[in-house]
Amino acid sequence: MSVKNPVDEEVKRASIAQIVTTCVIGAIIRCCLSFSKYQSIIANHVEISTPLNSWKRVSEGLYLLSNNINPYSGDLLHETPFSLYIYRNVLRLFQGRIEYMFATVDVLTGMILFFSAKKYVEESYKEEIVNRHQYAKDVSSYLLKPDKIFLSPYYVLLAYLFNPFTVLSCVGYSTTVFHNFFLSAMLFSMVHGIAVICGIFLAICASISFYPFVLIVPGFLYFKNVHRSVVKALVSLKTFLAVSVLIVVMCTNYGKDFSYLSNVYGCILTVPDLQPNTGLFWYFFTEMFDHFRELFIFAFQINASVLYLIPLSIKFRKQPFLLTVAILTIISIFKSYPSIGDVGFILSLLPCFRHLFRCSQQGFLVGVIMLISTSLAPILWYLWIYCNSANANFYFGVTLAFAIAQIFLLTDILFAQVKREFVLKNGTEKKVDGEESLLYLE
Amino acid sequence: MIVKQLIFLVILHAVSTKSQSSFPNKGHTNNWAVLVDTSRFWFNYRHVANVLSIYRSVKRLGIPDSQIILMIADDMACNPRNPRPATVFNNANQHINVYGDDVEVDYRGYEVTVENFVRLLTGRLPPGTPRSKQLLTDEGSNVLIYLTGHGGDGFLKFQDSEEITSQEMADALEQMWQKQRYHETFFMIDTCQAASMYERFYSPNILAVGSSLVGEDSLSHHVDPAIGVYIIDRYTYYALDFLENVDLQTNKSVGEFLKVCPKSVCISTVGVRKDLFQRNPDEVPVTDFFGSVRPIDLMDQVAIEPLVVDVGQRKVVPSTKRRKYAYVQPIVNVDTVSL
Amino acid sequence: MEIIHILGVLMHIHSVLTSQDTFSEELLIKPLYSDQVYTHFHFSTKWDVDMDTETFNHSRLFPRALGEIIKRFNVQELHVSLTGGLWRYENWGYPVVDAAPGAEVWAWFRPDTGDVDKNWKLLANSLSGLLCASLNFVDKSNSISPEFSFQPSGAIDSPNVNNTYLRYASLPREIVCTENLTPWKKLLPCNSKTGLASLLNSGYIHNSRYHSVGLHLRQICQDESCESVSLDLQQTVSLVYDYGILGTKDWSLSKLFGQGVNGRCVLASRSEIYIDITSTTARAFTLDPQPDEVLTSVRGGHHSTFGKYTLPRNFFNIYTKFIDKEIVSLNVPPVLHANQYLTGYGQERGGIVTKVYNNHWSELDVVLLQDIPWYVPIYLHTLKLMSNDIEIKPVALRYVPGKQRERPYYLEVFIKLPPRSTTSVSIDFDYVFLKWQEYPPDANHGFYIGSAIISSILPVARNYTGLPQDGTLISHSFNASRSGYLVQVRTENMVITLPTPDFSMPYNVICLACTVVALAFGPLHNITTRRLVMKSKKKESLLVKLKKFLSFNK
Repeated sequence: MSVKNPVDEEVKRASIAQIVTTCVIGAIIRCCLSFSKYQSIIANHVEISTPLNSWKRVSEGLYLLSNNINPYSGDLLHETPFSLYIYRNVLRLFQGRIEYMFATVDVLTGMILFFSAKKYVEESYKEEIVNRHQYAKDVSSYLLKPDKIFLSPYYVLLAYLFNPFTVLSCVGYSTTVFHNFFLSAMLFSMVHGIAVICGIFLAICASISFYPFVLIVPGFLYFKNVHRSVVKALVSLKTFLAVSVLIVVMCTNYGKDFSYLSNVYGCILTVPDLQPNTGLFWYFFTEMFDHFRELFIFAFQINASVLYLIPLSIKFRKQPFLLTVAILTIISIFKSYPSIGDVGFILSLLPCFRHLFRCSQQGFLVGVIMLISTSLAPILWYLWIYCNSANANFYFGVTLAFAIAQIFLLTDILFAQVKREFVLKNGTEKKVDGEESLLYLE
Repeated sequence: MIVKQLIFLVILHAVSTKSQSSFPNKGHTNNWAVLVDTSRFWFNYRHVANVLSIYRSVKRLGIPDSQIILMIADDMACNPRNPRPATVFNNANQHINVYGDDVEVDYRGYEVTVENFVRLLTGRLPPGTPRSKQLLTDEGSNVLIYLTGHGGDGFLKFQDSEEITSQEMADALEQMWQKQRYHETFFMIDTCQAASMYERFYSPNILAVGSSLVGEDSLSHHVDPAIGVYIIDRYTYYALDFLENVDLQTNKSVGEFLKVCPKSVCISTVGVRKDLFQRNPDEVPVTDFFGSVRPIDLMDQVAIEPLVVDVGQRKVVPSTKRRKYAYVQPIVNVDTVSL
Repeated sequence: MEIIHILGVLMHIHSVLTSQDTFSEELLIKPLYSDQVYTHFHFSTKWDVDMDTETFNHSRLFPRALGEIIKRFNVQELHVSLTGGLWRYENWGYPVVDAAPGAEVWAWFRPDTGDVDKNWKLLANSLSGLLCASLNFVDKSNSISPEFSFQPSGAIDSPNVNNTYLRYASLPREIVCTENLTPWKKLLPCNSKTGLASLLNSGYIHNSRYHSVGLHLRQICQDESCESVSLDLQQTVSLVYDYGILGTKDWSLSKLFGQGVNGRCVLASRSEIYIDITSTTARAFTLDPQPDEVLTSVRGGHHSTFGKYTLPRNFFNIYTKFIDKEIVSLNVPPVLHANQYLTGYGQERGGIVTKVYNNHWSELDVVLLQDIPWYVPIYLHTLKLMSNDIEIKPVALRYVPGKQRERPYYLEVFIKLPPRSTTSVSIDFDYVFLKWQEYPPDANHGFYIGSAIISSILPVARNYTGLPQDGTLISHSFNASRSGYLVQVRTENMVITLPTPDFSMPYNVICLACTVVALAFGPLHNITTRRLVMKSKKKESLLVKLKKFLSFNK
């Protein structure tokens, strides 16, 4: 499908052969690692499996269910009955071969992300062509170039399939893989304008891990502003609410009572399990005084979910896809039990914003911090837990560094977007009244 | 109107001064002791020996176990490191086994916390606390409080993980006074910088003695080479020495007890706080705090009341329902068990 | 004065005629295979009383303090034991009463009890005051209601046993010392002044490999028809002495206990000492003075010979002398014994393995009970039973998952042990991270996991000294052949070191985490509330700024 190019530029896309090869290699890597002796080591790492997404706990829950013991009477299992139902049936589909199940779901997620990114890139290129006459004269180097941007979806696929975070998350049998699958399906339907499917998958995501419910706002904005259909927006909202209620009803029926609510959402919100992970909650609430606990739980949960939602939605209402990615990043940094699978999902969506890299300043810093903290984390964990020579503060420091890297990434990308808009509108000249000048925020 | 109020105030003042001057004559009816060791771990053996020395003296001089609250934070006597099991000696030559054969520890191990101590003093214990763990004092009780452990300027460390400050101690004693839970209190403390703990007291009728002043450390007496740790502190060693020579007929006074460890043997200066205490310590017998007052009334006319022998209740009343009892199989039959 | 005396005597006679309580004291001394001697004191008070009407305001031999407690909390059966040391079943056989290291309490409440948990908590508190132990730490978060183990050992009137009225808790960290023995001795009618209790000198009895003080209360049938019950209180002290610590193989009562017996207790109807002189279990020795009577007991096909002494009123001592013969004795291991240990390394995950040994030539049904605290979360799907390297399945499984800070993990497995086998029951667990104030003051000592309890009814009574279910005295165990002999083997308990946070860090952690949150808040706030403008680099002079400000205002 060709696009009218006023400047007669070449369009570069990835070929089908390339895509298929990438998928196959991605699947092979995952299967190889799953069958190797490193699988159990990877699955036991706290960065990969948290109390909320560990497959060991899902197996325990399924085993207790099959022995007629209520899995929610203890507090090991933090998955909803609905997700247990999904896992059980998908596992049955694969005849109990967990490795193939996870690898397949992961590759499918990659493909869905590919198609979402493709649609998004095409839409944004079309919109830019339409708006080109509004821009300043000398900004051609900032515009979207067809020989670059149409390769972005392929880079997204590469980034998802070969990102060490996502590979390790898949090999470690973390249920974040399923969560990412539903998220990508939601993104796909949002980008393609299918409101009902978007609502359904968003409700599923929110039922598994509570925080994605805030994505209803960027979804709403996407349907309203990009697809220009308030009807679709309202339809998606209504579907989301309806399916959420339906899921709650299904879960109560399946679980026979409401005990799963305190196990799943109670755990996510009140953080009773203080197992270390890559987030900020665990050490904070280990060392918290009892009488301040509720206050800080409130503060942290608001920070992770709704605090930045409204301001960012107002500022970036014209770029809802970027808004979605920004909200997802905030959730993955500040949620109560993050894991590197969430971070991998965000990183794999970054190639969609290649046009922003020119305006970003802290890429090197972010990359280095992330590399160092990712490689230090297992070492310091080993020193603390196995060698007893380090202590908890070392690991805490590394998680802080990892959070800072993600924060810098987020602010950098958002700031780059604001800058690019400014430049497109006002040109690259850095002169005001004939004098040298700089960009200031005020 | 104002004149009436003035007259009322004058009368009240007169009455109160009168009651104050007659204060020592009425009130002291029983004796209680709260003996606390706050240190854990084997190298703090001497603190357990300290508190057991005072326990032994107090018990020997007549205070019964039901009126002694003994709090020991760690087990030294039956500790696997103790080469002489079930004994705690105050002397390397094994002169006195202060643990003895008849000891009842009310709070032990992890129960010795600041919260439990303050709750004990103020009487705000949770429902269901047994009587032996409650300080059931009244307005006629003379209470001996003895604390030992590691302390600093203004605090006393409990089990190496928490502290009680001197202000909290003073407030607890004030609560005791407000609730009329003591008649007079003798507060002894054997820690480093002990005097800082009683500096903040503001309730009346408290006589306080500490083994060292602020800025000084209290020192331990000697090491027992067989055990390998210091086994008693200087102040308590000499205090025990003094008390071993005291019996119920003694006329030794509290004033003499306050002088028990001069600087030449104790190396630290013993601090005393007398301003809150209404009587002159030299006129107060030692047994007022360390012994037990048992008022004895000699009667020459005894009225015997008939003994209440409730025969009716003693007879085993056969229950109206015929019951059949049986023993239960200790382990159920495996074939009847469902999976 | 005389009137009082006569009235007192009359009252005593009256109460003797109407109260029908008896007190017996017995001491069993048994040399064990491996250079140890086992002594067991058994003080038994039996009181024919109707529990429904008795108010425990008057009691003669039965301790009133205990009576008040069981009446107030509606207790049907009560068992408390405080133990220091581990009983080595492989070498020592089976004791009269099994006890786990530390403190163990379990109680059956009457079926008309309203709130069992509240009564249990209050009962534990009262017992902590009565026995000077930290039993007040027993509450819902470390108590379980096992279904198969701990069936009522006394007589009950309803055939259905409902385990919601049973509570069991163990505190492995408890120590037992003189402070527990002192109030325990005060529950005896003669205290420790006369009778066998005068032998209980703490300096000597705590200098042993194993010492256990127990209190067992239940109701037993008064007679054959069992239409009425009487209260049976058994106070026991079990000790295992080492010849190495004693210094000699020629033990005597004065060497073991510091003195001989101070005469018999006049309130006791029986006051006896039994010495096991079966020469097959130990090296031969001579007794001085000679036993008053020599009894032979045939129990479950095994012969034992006992020398019996009836205590006189005056001071009494027994001496032994070992005959030094060159004997090589083989130890026949008991039919059932078990071990428990931890597997895994590091402080992240591990496993608990219980190994049960069946040395009998036929199958054995056992019930394995594990009471695992809430801070050791176990995964039931990792439960594996391996018997001689073959995986077997349990006959029945009862599991109640634990909840953090609320309930421990309760696992009870009914296993059929194959003959002559070693069965290992393994389960995996994770190490949890607790809040900083939940660690004890000596956090690096570790946290205790209690013993596993393996209950079984053995078909043979080799090396078995337990009392039959309807018996209350040691002498009832002689010639007491039954269809099965109950044992409840206790394993070792274990210590895990949970990973600790840095206890000195609360303020630092709060500051650092809030800094990171602020690092996100700042830039995002800037981006959303400010616009980008192009401004001149040159700094405006103050005059120009003032001019601009004035012109703007106008």
